Amino acid sequence: MSIRATKLNAEAAARELIRTPRANRDLAQKLGGFNTIAEGLDYAAQGVTGFNFYSAKGSLQHVLTYAELRLSALSTARKLVSAGLKRGDRVAVIAETGPEFMAVFFGCQYAGLVPCPMPYTMYIGGKDAYIERVTGMLKAAAACAVITSTDLEGHIRSGAAGAGVEKILTHEALQALPQSLIKLEAFGPNDVAYIQYSSGSTSDPKGVLITQSAIMANTQGILRDGLRVTPKDRAFSWLPLYHDMGLVGFCLSPMMGQVTVDYISTPSFARRPALWLRLMSENKSTVSYSPSFGYDLAARRINGEAVTLDLSNWRAAGIGGDMVRADVLKHFGDTLSVAGFDHKAFMPSYGMAESTLAVSFSDVSKPIRIDTIDKAAYKNSGRAVPASTSQALDAVRSFVVCGKILPGHEIVVRDESGLALKDREIGHIFVRGPSLMSGYYHNSSATDAVIAADGYLATGDMGYMLDGEIVITGRAKDLILHNGRNIWPQDIEWAAERVEPLKSGDVAAFAVEGEDGDDDVVVLVQCRATSAADIEKLRREVSAVVHHSAGVECAVVLVPPKSLPFTSSGKLSRAGAKQKYVSGEFVEVAARDLLADAPEFLAAAQ
Amino acid sequence: MTQSTINQICKLLEPFNTERKALTAETDISADLNIDSVAVMDFVMEVEDHFDIEIPLNVVSETRSIGDLAAVVEARTKKVLLP
Repeated sequence: MSIRATKLNAEAAARELIRTPRANRDLAQKLGGFNTIAEGLDYAAQGVTGFNFYSAKGSLQHVLTYAELRLSALSTARKLVSAGLKRGDRVAVIAETGPEFMAVFFGCQYAGLVPCPMPYTMYIGGKDAYIERVTGMLKAAAACAVITSTDLEGHIRSGAAGAGVEKILTHEALQALPQSLIKLEAFGPNDVAYIQYSSGSTSDPKGVLITQSAIMANTQGILRDGLRVTPKDRAFSWLPLYHDMGLVGFCLSPMMGQVTVDYISTPSFARRPALWLRLMSENKSTVSYSPSFGYDLAARRINGEAVTLDLSNWRAAGIGGDMVRADVLKHFGDTLSVAGFDHKAFMPSYGMAESTLAVSFSDVSKPIRIDTIDKAAYKNSGRAVPASTSQALDAVRSFVVCGKILPGHEIVVRDESGLALKDREIGHIFVRGPSLMSGYYHNSSATDAVIAADGYLATGDMGYMLDGEIVITGRAKDLILHNGRNIWPQDIEWAAERVEPLKSGDVAAFAVEGEDGDDDVVVLVQCRATSAADIEKLRREVSAVVHHSAGVECAVVLVPPKSLPFTSSGKLSRAGAKQKYVSGEFVEVAARDLLADAPEFLAAAQ
Repeated sequence: MTQSTINQICKLLEPFNTERKALTAETDISADLNIDSVAVMDFVMEVEDHFDIEIPLNVVSETRSIGDLAAVVEARTKKVLLP
C-alpha cells in the first residue's frame, strides 16, 4: 500500500466515515433536464447525496458527496489548466473506481477538456497486451495528456511513449499543481462531453464521441423512462467506469438524478462476487446492473450466506452487455429468493456505447417476458414463429424480450435490402434519436459505415420486434461476447499471428455457441510444424498469447496449411472458417497424422 | 524462492486446474491451465487471503508463471514481516 493510501485510510478512520444518505430532504429530485454535465453537478451539489467507495474487503473507504465532488472538480479543472491543457484537448484518464478518477472526469467538464476514460489491466500476464492497447487508444484520441494512478504509471509511460504522448501525470502530481486563476469556461450545451473507448479492436480502436446533448437525452431516458427513479432509490455498482454501462449507467445517470451510489471496483467484484450482494443487503440498495455472467458468478458464490441477506429492496436488477440468459436469471432468482429477492426485479435492457448507453428497457414493474420460438423456422425462414407447447426442447429457442425503445427515439428492423420488416421477422436492428454519438472520433469512414444519411445507426445486432418491444437474437458482426466483454476476433488473430512461424492469414478466431448459450472461443491455426514437440509448442504459445491479450479461455485447433477459407477479395472468411469447423470439415493436425505426410516430408528434405 | 511457497500456490491452484495438468514453477497460470480472466482473479484472491498480502493489479499483469507468483508472494510476505 502506498504511503498516500495509508494516510488516506488513517484519515478516513479518524473522520469515522459516514456513507451518504439515500435522498435529499431539502432539495427536490430532478431527473435530468439539465443542459450540461456541469450544470447537473451544480444542482446535485446543493444536496447531501453522492458516491461511496468500498474496499475489496467491503469496508467503506471514501465518501464523496456531490458537493465535495463539485469542489474537487473545480480545483482539479484549474490544475489541469495549470498543466498546460487547452480547451478541447483530450485528457486520457485511467478509470479506476475512486474519487481520483471522478475529480479528473468532472474537472474536465468545468475546464472544457474532453475526458477519455481508459481501462486498467486485470489479467495475469496481461502487461504487454495492455501497453499495446493503451498506445492504440492514446493515438486514436490524439490525447494531450494521460492521468494515472502511481501503480499503473510504469505501464502507462510505456504505452504513452508508443503514442508520442509526453504529458503523463499521476493523480498526486496533478493535485500538487497550483490552481490556475483564469476564469473557467465549462462545456456548453452544444459541446462534446467525453470520448468512450469501449468500441473497436486493439489494432483499430474507435472512440465514441458523446456530446452534452446526447448524454442529457440518454440519462434523462434512463432515470425517468427506464428506471423510473424516485427518492427511495439507492444504486450499487461494480461495473468498470471505462465502460458505458458503468460510466453512463452508474456514474453520470445517478448524478443527474441526485441518486446515491455505492461502489466496489470491478477487480473487487471479480475476486469476491458475493460482496456485491452483501453490500447491497447492508445498504438496502434498490438498483443495480450486471451482464448475465455477473448474476451467474454471484449465485454460484453466495452459498449459505444467502439466507443472511436482505435483497427485498432490490426493485431494478438490470441485465445488459451480453445476451440475456433466462436460465441464469432463474437460477439467481431461485438461489436468492431466501434473501427476499423478487424475480420481478429483473429488467432486461438493450444498448450500446454508440447510443451513449441505453436504447430500450423492459417495463421495470413487470416480470421478464420470454418468447419461445420454433428453431427450424428461425433458421430456415428468418421468422420468429411461436413454438407450440408440444414441441421438444431442442426444437425451440427462447429469447428474452428487451423492452420498448426510449421515448423520442426510433427503432426499425430491416432485411438485407434495407426494407423495414414486420413483427416477428428477423433482421438487422437500426436506431435513431438524440442519444446517438456524433461519430467515431477522427474517423469519418468508420462513422459513415454505421450512421447513414437518414440518421439511423446500424447496431450490428440482429433481432425482431414483438408488440413494440425489441428481441435480440444475435449479431451480424463477428464480435465475440464473453462475460459481458466485447472481444474482437481481429485482436486474437493479430496476437496469435505474431507467434513464430505464423504469418498473417494463418489464424481465424470466432465464437461458437456453447452448451450454456454463452460464446465459446475457437482459434483455428494453420500448422506447418511436423514434429510432435513443435506442434505442441505452437499450441501452447498460441494459447498463451490469446490468454494474455484477450483474457479468455479458448480451444486452439491446429489445422493443415492452406485449409482456412478466404473471400474472393483475399480476406480471411471468418464465417466460412466457422461453418467449416462446425460441420467438422477440418482435420485437426496431430502428431499421428505426420506419418501420412512422411514421404512428402522426406522428398522435401532431399 | 522456496519449494514450500510453490507447493502452497500449487495447492491453491488445484481447484482451478480442471484439466489436471502437472504443475511446476514454469507453468504459465492462465495459458497452460486454460483459465479465464475471472477465474484467475478468484485464484489471485485465494493467494492474497492465504498469505495475507495484497497484490496490486500492475503486479498481477507482470506475473505469468507459478514461479513468478511465488517470487511476488515472498517479496510481499517479507515486507510484512519487517519491523
